Amino acid sequence: MSALALCLLLLFLAGPIFWLLKPQRSHAFAWLAALPPAAVTLWQALQMNAVASGSTLVERYAWAPTLGLEVALKLDGLALFFGLLITGIGTCIAFYTNYYLEGDRRQGYFYLVLYIFMASMLGLVWSDDLLTLFVFWEGTSITSYLLIAYKSEYKGAVEGARRALIVTTAGALAMLAGMVLLGLEAGTFNISEILAEPGIATAAITPVALVLLFLGAFTKSAQFPFQFWLPGAMSAPTPASAYLHSATMVKAGIFLLARLHPAFSDLPLWFWSLFLVGGFTMVLGAVSAIRYTDMKALLAYATISVLGMLTMLLAFQEEYALEAFVVTVLAHALYKAPLFLSAGIVDHAMGTRDLRRLAGLARALPVVALTVVLATVSMAGIPPTMGFLAKELLLENFYDLFEHSETLIGGLGFAIAALSAVFLGGAVFTLTWEAFFRRKPDDEAAHLHHAPSFWFAAPALLLTILGAVGALFVGSYEQVLLAPAIAAVAGEPIEVHLKLWHGLTPVFFASMGILVLAVVVFLARGLFRRLYARVPTGFSALAVYDATVDAIYRLAYRVTTVIQGSPMAPQLSVTLLAGVAVVFYAVFFTDGSTSRLLDSLEFPTLTEWAIFALAIIAAITTVRARSRLSAIIALGVVGVTVTLFFIIFGAPDLALTQLLIEVLTVFLLVLVFFHVKPDTPIAHDRREPFRLLVAVAMGFFGFAVVMVNHLSQVGESISPYFIENSLELGKGSNVVNVILVDFRGYDTMGEITVLALAALGGYALLRSTQMHALRQRINAARQMLASEPEPAKSESGREAGHD
Amino acid sequence: MTEIYLRLVNLILTPLIILVAILLFLRGHDLPGGGFIAGLLVAAALELTILSRGATVTREQYGPWLIPLVGLGLLVAVIAGLLGIYGGGFFHGMWIEFYLGGDKIKMGTPQLFDLGVMLVVIGMGVTYLLRLSEAAEAVSKNDAVEGEQP
Repeated sequence: MSALALCLLLLFLAGPIFWLLKPQRSHAFAWLAALPPAAVTLWQALQMNAVASGSTLVERYAWAPTLGLEVALKLDGLALFFGLLITGIGTCIAFYTNYYLEGDRRQGYFYLVLYIFMASMLGLVWSDDLLTLFVFWEGTSITSYLLIAYKSEYKGAVEGARRALIVTTAGALAMLAGMVLLGLEAGTFNISEILAEPGIATAAITPVALVLLFLGAFTKSAQFPFQFWLPGAMSAPTPASAYLHSATMVKAGIFLLARLHPAFSDLPLWFWSLFLVGGFTMVLGAVSAIRYTDMKALLAYATISVLGMLTMLLAFQEEYALEAFVVTVLAHALYKAPLFLSAGIVDHAMGTRDLRRLAGLARALPVVALTVVLATVSMAGIPPTMGFLAKELLLENFYDLFEHSETLIGGLGFAIAALSAVFLGGAVFTLTWEAFFRRKPDDEAAHLHHAPSFWFAAPALLLTILGAVGALFVGSYEQVLLAPAIAAVAGEPIEVHLKLWHGLTPVFFASMGILVLAVVVFLARGLFRRLYARVPTGFSALAVYDATVDAIYRLAYRVTTVIQGSPMAPQLSVTLLAGVAVVFYAVFFTDGSTSRLLDSLEFPTLTEWAIFALAIIAAITTVRARSRLSAIIALGVVGVTVTLFFIIFGAPDLALTQLLIEVLTVFLLVLVFFHVKPDTPIAHDRREPFRLLVAVAMGFFGFAVVMVNHLSQVGESISPYFIENSLELGKGSNVVNVILVDFRGYDTMGEITVLALAALGGYALLRSTQMHALRQRINAARQMLASEPEPAKSESGREAGHD
Repeated sequence: MTEIYLRLVNLILTPLIILVAILLFLRGHDLPGGGFIAGLLVAAALELTILSRGATVTREQYGPWLIPLVGLGLLVAVIAGLLGIYGGGFFHGMWIEFYLGGDKIKMGTPQLFDLGVMLVVIGMGVTYLLRLSEAAEAVSKNDAVEGEQP
């Protein structure tokens, strides 16, 4: 059985298929788009009972068996819980997108990236191997980048996308280092095996590895001080914001922490990092949210706050904390995604999502208003919603700690949680009231120009209803869905009995008090906004990031001006002479080289003499050529004579390649030199002797490289192995080709990747407009030189050749 | 005006060269040839088209396909590698052999990989030739305009 791999493959393939279908043509595609994720959701739902009873599905595929690398997938409680969220919400998002990007020519492209993201995200939570997880992790980063930059005509979108990519991939690089350290310490990259490894938590290298892993998790999940990329990511189309930047991708870091929780949560380093970073992020996000009048920005900060809460909860090992963790993930996905989707519908219908221009939308958009109200109730934690259950568990955890041993931590945590809940409630009340119920907007009112159809609003309504009433039936799924996930985070089976109603406990009164205060914050929202407007913006994580990036660019510019500021010829001389020096050292100071060189020489045959003569004549012609065009052609002849050598020494593949390369090189050189007029005569000046010296040294360099290569065989040659095994292992009698595409396929893969990047670079840099601008600059420089006294004029024609 | 005899050469020779390139590619695993060489040959053949018909016309004809071709080549190469996972690891060569009218035909993932190499090389080569030719055309057009104005 390879059901897990097939599920991932289905989602991967859905992308290109949808891209080809051009789904913008009809709303019928909304149903078709929802099909692949719905199928995977259904399959996962069918596995719930089996997983709950303790049987985990494991699949392992060899990747590079000789290196011990493999792709490992595992469906345990945590993977299934996250997987159901990813594909379940993914189903709604896929349906919604067709309406949101109505008539957009690039809708197919959006679906392509969306499905690849979905597959990567699902692969990430199903991974049972650190390196597999890393590959999927980067898959989500790249697709996130593409989705944020979807409206690439807006500068803000591209900048936000780049910022998100740089921050998350920089963190991911640190994480990779941490993974490698952890894997080497444990002797395996398999996550289950690492977690089961006794003594891994106390190993000397573990703190270093953990800090590196934290960097990856915190950047991905927008924890302080890396939270600034998330608001910038709101330039993405709303389905992507709702899906990636609220419900799923930003929880990848938290998922990783939850995965590692069983083995490392004993460490003080673990506790304090997560508790402090998570707690601070939670408060920061919550108090910032109310400042923003852009609906999506407000929701983004609220998301940051919840991500902080989840991180903080993972610091603890208590039952309440882990229950609160799992319930919060579920509740948050079920209220935040609908809020985002509704903001998208408002944006679509009104042409703006700025609260200052909106008012009284409840009449125009009744279904959306219902959705938002239900989501607000859940987000503010009003009974009997899922959000209420999550908040109860959160407060219960800290109250429990406070009552028992940990007075300080419990009290601090309780204060953080209460403060954040007050401000989050205030923010979401503000959003709902201002957009949907108040009479008059602050600014000029936006007009409804496009009333949404019912199906556009349906996915959000479905999710929000689940979130609003789901807690009432918590008993029906807690054992199959929640308990296995909680057990996986805890690392041991846990008895879970969630109850919506605990009686009139102190926590319940606290919860009600929080609601009252949230209303107070809501009523005083004008005061808070005026207050925030006075906070200077210069000192923020974003400003620090921007300053760092600027500094890197400036440094790069300075270094480049110093080492590459001069014309081409002097720069090349430096590079070539450095190479010559190295080989000179190798030839004359490696012992025995020269004597062995003389021994191995043979007297050339007549044919070889003839080719030598031809090559030398062509070379002399090149050097003595009057114009560049003839020099280029003569150079081509030199190359062709080298081809003759390949032929007489029986290397037809090399000969063919060399011949073609020579032909194309002549073409390219002619085209390049067209800019400096190929038929102009080559100027002779006083620097010519120096150039001659460099050229001659370079000739010896080439000669010496071949000789050293020929003489200094360090180990046993691998060539006989290739020749013997080519037909048997590689199924080909052309050894050169078998080496290229089979024996050393990895190398070739790297090379064609470089070629592809070179093609992109050439495509972008050599646009004729760009070349034209360059030429104009050269001409301007020439004119400047020409206007100077007479001797400078003769220099100008030559200098252009260096550029 | 482009030369009429160059157009004739292009008309006859370009398809022939491409045919030779395909042959070189197909026999590449056993006899001299292969994806890299075949790719270079196709690029050289298209240079004939550029020379005879001009860069602008060639761009209209092939331009939109070049960068996608590079991407497709990389994709094909990676897929060839991924198929190997079912044989025991990434890039593990897998072959099928069958008889077609008495001739033994063999097909394998390394050849698919070679196809990817060919596509990348074609895309890259023609991109550069076309870009530089366009720039050269723009320059000569510019010079002509400048020359007319005293």
